[in-house]
Amino acid sequence: MPASNPEPAPISALRDDGSVDSAHAGALSGELAVALFEHMVLARAFDERLVALQREGVVSQHASAIGEEAAIVGAAAAMHDEDWVFPSSREFAAALWRGMPLAAYAHHVVGSRRDVGHGRNAPDPPFWKAARVVSVSPLSGSHVPHAVGVAWAARTQKHDVAALLYFGEGATSSGEFHTGLNFAGVLGAPVVAFCRNDGRALSTSASQQTASASFAVKAVAYGLRGVRVDGSDVVAVFGVVRDARARAAAGQGATLVEAVIPGVEAADPVAKLRRHLVAQGLWDAERDQRLAGEVHVDVERAILEATAAGPPPPETMTSDVFAASEREGETAT
Amino acid sequence: MTHAIDTQSNVKTGNATSMNLVQAINDALKLEMRRDPRVVVLGEDVGKVGGVFRVTQGLWDEFGDDRVIDTPLSEGGIIGTAIGMALYGMVPVPEIQFADFIFPAYDQIVSELAKMRWRSGGEYTAKMVIRTPVGGGIRGGLYHSQSPESLFIHVAGLKVVCPSNPHDAKGLLLASIRDPDPVLFFEPKRIYRAAKGDVPEGDYTVPIGKAAVVREGNHVTLLAWGAMLYEAIAAADEARKQGIEAEIVDLRTLWPVDVDTIVASVKKTGRVVVVHEAPRTCGFGAELVAIVNEKAFDHLEAPPARVCGFDTPFPYALEMDYLPLAHRILPAIVQTAKY
Repeated sequence: MPASNPEPAPISALRDDGSVDSAHAGALSGELAVALFEHMVLARAFDERLVALQREGVVSQHASAIGEEAAIVGAAAAMHDEDWVFPSSREFAAALWRGMPLAAYAHHVVGSRRDVGHGRNAPDPPFWKAARVVSVSPLSGSHVPHAVGVAWAARTQKHDVAALLYFGEGATSSGEFHTGLNFAGVLGAPVVAFCRNDGRALSTSASQQTASASFAVKAVAYGLRGVRVDGSDVVAVFGVVRDARARAAAGQGATLVEAVIPGVEAADPVAKLRRHLVAQGLWDAERDQRLAGEVHVDVERAILEATAAGPPPPETMTSDVFAASEREGETAT
Repeated sequence: MTHAIDTQSNVKTGNATSMNLVQAINDALKLEMRRDPRVVVLGEDVGKVGGVFRVTQGLWDEFGDDRVIDTPLSEGGIIGTAIGMALYGMVPVPEIQFADFIFPAYDQIVSELAKMRWRSGGEYTAKMVIRTPVGGGIRGGLYHSQSPESLFIHVAGLKVVCPSNPHDAKGLLLASIRDPDPVLFFEPKRIYRAAKGDVPEGDYTVPIGKAAVVREGNHVTLLAWGAMLYEAIAAADEARKQGIEAEIVDLRTLWPVDVDTIVASVKKTGRVVVVHEAPRTCGFGAELVAIVNEKAFDHLEAPPARVCGFDTPFPYALEMDYLPLAHRILPAIVQTAKY
C-alpha cells in the first residue's frame, strides 16, 4: 500500500461567494445538496435543543456538534447503504441521516422505556441496527479496531461493504487508534477512518494531543493514505470520503481523513452550504421559513414523545447480560 | 502429573483416541472449523507455526490465511478486531499467547465485549471464545504463569471455562464456540501434554455450567479445577490413608458456576476446601466460600478452607512453593475433616 504524504492544506471546494472550485464541480447533485442542507439544519436545531435540555437536566450530557454538521453529515452521505458506521460522541446526525428515526434518538438521550437500549446508555453515541450504525462505547478510540474487524470480515466474504469510522482528534492519542489502524494496514481492511479535528477534546488542544504536523500524517506510519479536508465544507468532505470509500472497496486500503473543523464562528458549515444553494438557485428565504417550521415541529414532537414515555421497567436491568440472562443470573447468585 | 481420571459426561459410544490436552483442543478447533465456516482463529503466531504451544498446528495449512490469521503483536488489537468480526457474524476464536498477556486487551474484553449485548439491548452481540494458556509450574516466571480468572468472573457478561482433561477440553471448547455468549477458555498449560485420556472421535459437547464429581466421598468436599485438580486428587489419596474420604468436584466451568453440584456436595460432607493457583484475596475461592455460606450454612461442620497462591506476584525460582500443591492441600483437608 503506497503511502502518500497528506495534503499540507485541507482540501476545500466551496468558495466564499457560494461557487464551487472547478475541481469539485458536479461532485454533488443539486437534489443531494439540498437534502444535505435540510439535514444539517435539522441537526443544528436538534443540537441547540439538546444543549438547552442538558441545562434543564432532562438529558445528563450532550456533546454538541454545532459547527461540525458538514463533516458528520457529508461523510455519512458519501457511504453506501450496506456500509457500517461507527459513530463517536458527536455523530447523532449521521445516525439520523442513515435512517434512525428522530424519536428513537430522543428516546435514547432521555433514557426512556421506548429506547432500544432500554435507557442503559447515557447520551451518545446512539446506535441503530437497521441502518448498520453500531453500538459504540464513549471510551475514545475503543471502536477503532471494531470497525477494522467488520471491514475485514466483509472483505474476506467478498462483500462490497466498507466501514466509516468517526472519532475526534483526541482519540488519536489512544492505544486502540494505533493498534486499530495498524491492523487495518496489515489486513487491508476497507475502512474510512474519519477524524474530526475540532480541537474540542474537552480542554485539550491539538498541540497537547500530538507533536505531529497534522493528524492525517499519522496514516503514513500504518501504510495508509492520509488526507486533510475542510470540515466546514460539505462538498469537499463528501468528495474526499466518497473517494476514500471507492479506494477501500477496490482493495486499495484504508484512508485516514482529517476533517479540519474551524469552528462555527470562523466558518459556519450550514451558512456556507446555504450560500452555495442560493447561488445555484436551489434555495431562498421562503424555503428557510418552511424548513424551520417543519424542523421545529419534528424536533419538539420527538422530544415530547420521549419525555412522556417514562423510564424503563426495573426488570430491564438484568436482561441481556447473557443470551439467557434471567436464568443464569438466578442460578449464579 | 499422571493421574488419569475418568470424568463422567455425555460420551457417545464409538471410537476414541488417546490424546493430550493440546491434541484434544486442536481436534475440537479442526472439527468446528470444518463444520462452521464462520469460525476463524487469530492471534500471535497461531498460523504457520501453530502457536507457541502448537495448539493451532495444522489449521493454517487446512484453512488458509482468511481463517487462520497471524496478527500483529497487540492483544488489544486482536480482541478489538475480533469484536468487529463477531459483529459482522463471524465466530472468532482468538488466542492470547499467555493469560498474563491478556491485560492489554482487558479494556476491550471488559468495556466492549462483555457489555455489547447489554448496552445494545440485544441488538448487537460479539460472541467469541478467547483461548489462553493459564497457570504456573512451567518455570515461566511472573509474566507467564498467572491465573486471572476472577478478574473476568467479576465482570457481568463473560463466561469462564477451565478444563482439566482432554475429553472435557474438546467437549467444552465445542460447547463454548456454539454458545451465544463470549467465553474465556483458560487452558491449564502445566498439564497441556501431561494430561492424557481417551477422546471420542467426532462431535460431542460437555455442557457449560456443569461441574463433575470426579470422586465421591463423605467427609470433606474439595473444589478445584484445571491443573490443581490433580494436586487435589493427590492430596485426597494421602488423606484416604488417614481414613478421610474426600469428595472431589472439578468445576470445569467457573462462570456460570454449578451452584447446585457444589451445594449438594457440601450439604453431604458438611466441610469444604477450595484450591486455586490465583492469590487468595478476592480469588474465586472467596466467591465459592460465600456461595457455600449463603446456601449451605446450616450444614457446615467446619470453617471453609482455602488453599491458594499467595498474595504476591507469581515467582520464578520459587514457583513450587507458591503453587498450592498436594502437600499444602493435605493439612487443610485433615484440619477441616477433624475440626
